[in-house]
Amino acid sequence: MANVIASGLSRGAVEELSRQKGEPEWMLQKRLHAWEVYENTPAPLGRRGDLGTRRTLSNFKFQELSPYVPSEANSTLPVVIAQALKEALVDQRSGLIVQRNASVVRVELDESLKRRGVILTALDTAVHEYPELVQQYFMTRCVPVESNKYTAQHAAFWSGGVFLYIPKGVEIEQPILSQIWIDAPASATFAHTLIIAEEQSSVHYVTEYNSAFEGEQASFLNDVVEVYARNEARVEFSNMQDLGLNVWNVTNKNAMHEKDAGVTWVMADLGSKLTLANIGATLRGNGSAAELVGVFFSDHDQRFSMNTLSDHDALSTNAETLVKGVLTDASRVEFEGMIRVQPKAQQTASFLSDHTLLLSSECRAESIPSLEIGANEVSASHGATTGQIDEEQLFYLMVRGIPREEAERIIVQGFFEPVLQRIPLENLRTRLRRSIVRRMRGADESEADAWLDAQERWEIEDVDEHAISLDGSKVDEEIKLSEY
Amino acid sequence: MESELIIKNLHASIEGKAILRGVDLVVKQGEVHALMGPNGSGKSTLANVIMGNPKYEVTDGEIWFKGENILEYSPDRRARMRLFLAFQYPMSIPGVSVANFLRRALEAVREGNKPLEEGEKPTGKMGKRNSIPPKEFRNLLQTKMRLLKVDNSFINRAINDGFSGGEKKRAEILQMALLEPEIALMDETDSGLDIDALKIVSESVNALTGPNLGILLITHYQRILDYITPDFVHVMFNGRIVKSGGKELAFELEDKGYEWLKPAEEENGVSVNG
Repeated sequence: MANVIASGLSRGAVEELSRQKGEPEWMLQKRLHAWEVYENTPAPLGRRGDLGTRRTLSNFKFQELSPYVPSEANSTLPVVIAQALKEALVDQRSGLIVQRNASVVRVELDESLKRRGVILTALDTAVHEYPELVQQYFMTRCVPVESNKYTAQHAAFWSGGVFLYIPKGVEIEQPILSQIWIDAPASATFAHTLIIAEEQSSVHYVTEYNSAFEGEQASFLNDVVEVYARNEARVEFSNMQDLGLNVWNVTNKNAMHEKDAGVTWVMADLGSKLTLANIGATLRGNGSAAELVGVFFSDHDQRFSMNTLSDHDALSTNAETLVKGVLTDASRVEFEGMIRVQPKAQQTASFLSDHTLLLSSECRAESIPSLEIGANEVSASHGATTGQIDEEQLFYLMVRGIPREEAERIIVQGFFEPVLQRIPLENLRTRLRRSIVRRMRGADESEADAWLDAQERWEIEDVDEHAISLDGSKVDEEIKLSEY
Repeated sequence: MESELIIKNLHASIEGKAILRGVDLVVKQGEVHALMGPNGSGKSTLANVIMGNPKYEVTDGEIWFKGENILEYSPDRRARMRLFLAFQYPMSIPGVSVANFLRRALEAVREGNKPLEEGEKPTGKMGKRNSIPPKEFRNLLQTKMRLLKVDNSFINRAINDGFSGGEKKRAEILQMALLEPEIALMDETDSGLDIDALKIVSESVNALTGPNLGILLITHYQRILDYITPDFVHVMFNGRIVKSGGKELAFELEDKGYEWLKPAEEENGVSVNG
């Protein structure tokens, strides 16, 4: 039986963690190497004059956290987690994996996919059952241990984790759902996701980060996601982060693209006290394509630092990054979007845009798009806008009877809508809309419903002219609705 | 009893510049008033001030609607009392579909004359507001769209986003049809329309007129009056209504232009900014 490891990050804690898990020597050595890197790497502090998110994070009291809070597999889940899980599972799905604090507590996978060689398991388990694959792919090329101080910290203490392997040619139609839950105060969770999509395979993977505990005692989630998309593989990775304001989050995500592979990141950051996010696309194979669609909504004194990298390192690669965010209260958001075109990356097409809406006078946003271009046959551009809600638009809505605050919320909905429409899963779009509405002061559920009805459920097909009487009565059956 | 909009000695300015200089006007449910006058005479300002546009400052006078002085009311509350403004330049709001927006608007308007928000001393939580079931809303909107011969695709589009001039004006009339105002201010609804679009828009307005709707039709040109017959015609000049009469006044204006109505002070060289 696993035991909680006492507060404090140390070499001893790394050894204790590995011993409790009964890990093979190579993994212990990898962890200890990572610990050394962690000890010897300075924390990133950001630039002089920035909004200070990295600096704030560097002062976080990591030593007050327990680095390992295990949960028992298949034990009864707390009501709030069970309920949220139910909400997320209305869609058809191919598989499900749930991590609670340091442990994976639920794994399901469609039987026919198992027979075709798909593997979905805890990374803890994969270390024992598929050591060659883990040794080859885990924090080697995609997100190397040495990437930064926090990736090293993650490699030293990772626990639980997701291992998804999709063999050549297997296309998984229904999404695989994943949830990461933190319900232990003063804990650090190091959740890892490793996805290997072999040639011509495809998958939609949807993961959510949530927390369920009260109080001021902060917890920490330091997660890493590695996606290997082999030749012509397609991976769509969606992530909704809705952690409580007592959770700090560092996330490092990268996708390694081989020839003609395509990876889409959909990122929605709503929660956490502070988030440092590094999201990358490494376009290593000719003809590969990356897409990143991001939305965020920050309030209270939340701080986000979002950093994207489109790294073009092969012929004819494409990348498109679109981020839209809304800030209110005293929140602060830094966005840095980098397009890097290596000398051999001719015929690159890369675009980046970032649009921010400020709802309060105390919030601050900073946007720094940048380009590093080493090739000459390149089409690349970036753009950023930051602004406030247009008073004329507000007046227009108010003159239709809608109170000011609600009018603001409607304009915010409209601001997000074009990005939300690019999210492939309806269930996720729907819950994201609800989460956005819930975050806006004064809003109620009927507002989310009206938005949803309008965007998702309203498809009037051609109706028989005679079916509708002019007084609008008794015509329900004749109006064909897509989802009622 | 029919609703009345009563404007008494209304003065308003923008950035310290006086635009309205003592407007008196009464519009009752069931009546069609045309408000005419040259550019810059204050017609659009009047419409905006009646709706409570915060850009303008009311410096004197009163606006009464249904027996209440509405000067201190927010624009949305005025709308919920069933005042309506069809904008001269409707705003486009990207990403907000007509369906979403109009359902919220209709729900709000059905709450009637009561505050819905903090600053207005709410009677209850916003959440208590009655929502209209999607089917009911859809049926109602479709009925109105059919009445005004508006294409179905309208509702899934973002409000006025990429609409042609004619489409924007028709969308305004559609909103008017749905929200069923008691008094509607129509600000240059005819401007920027070609003759075919003008006919369609006029037919739409005519389809809505009746004993329950009073209209203040603001126009710069006489031509819309070929299609919509007013009961009263008013002429505005430099922030005042200088002449009122029946529909024959419109014909007189067509013949003589506005010059003959110029107030005397104007000719005496008193500087007036329109």
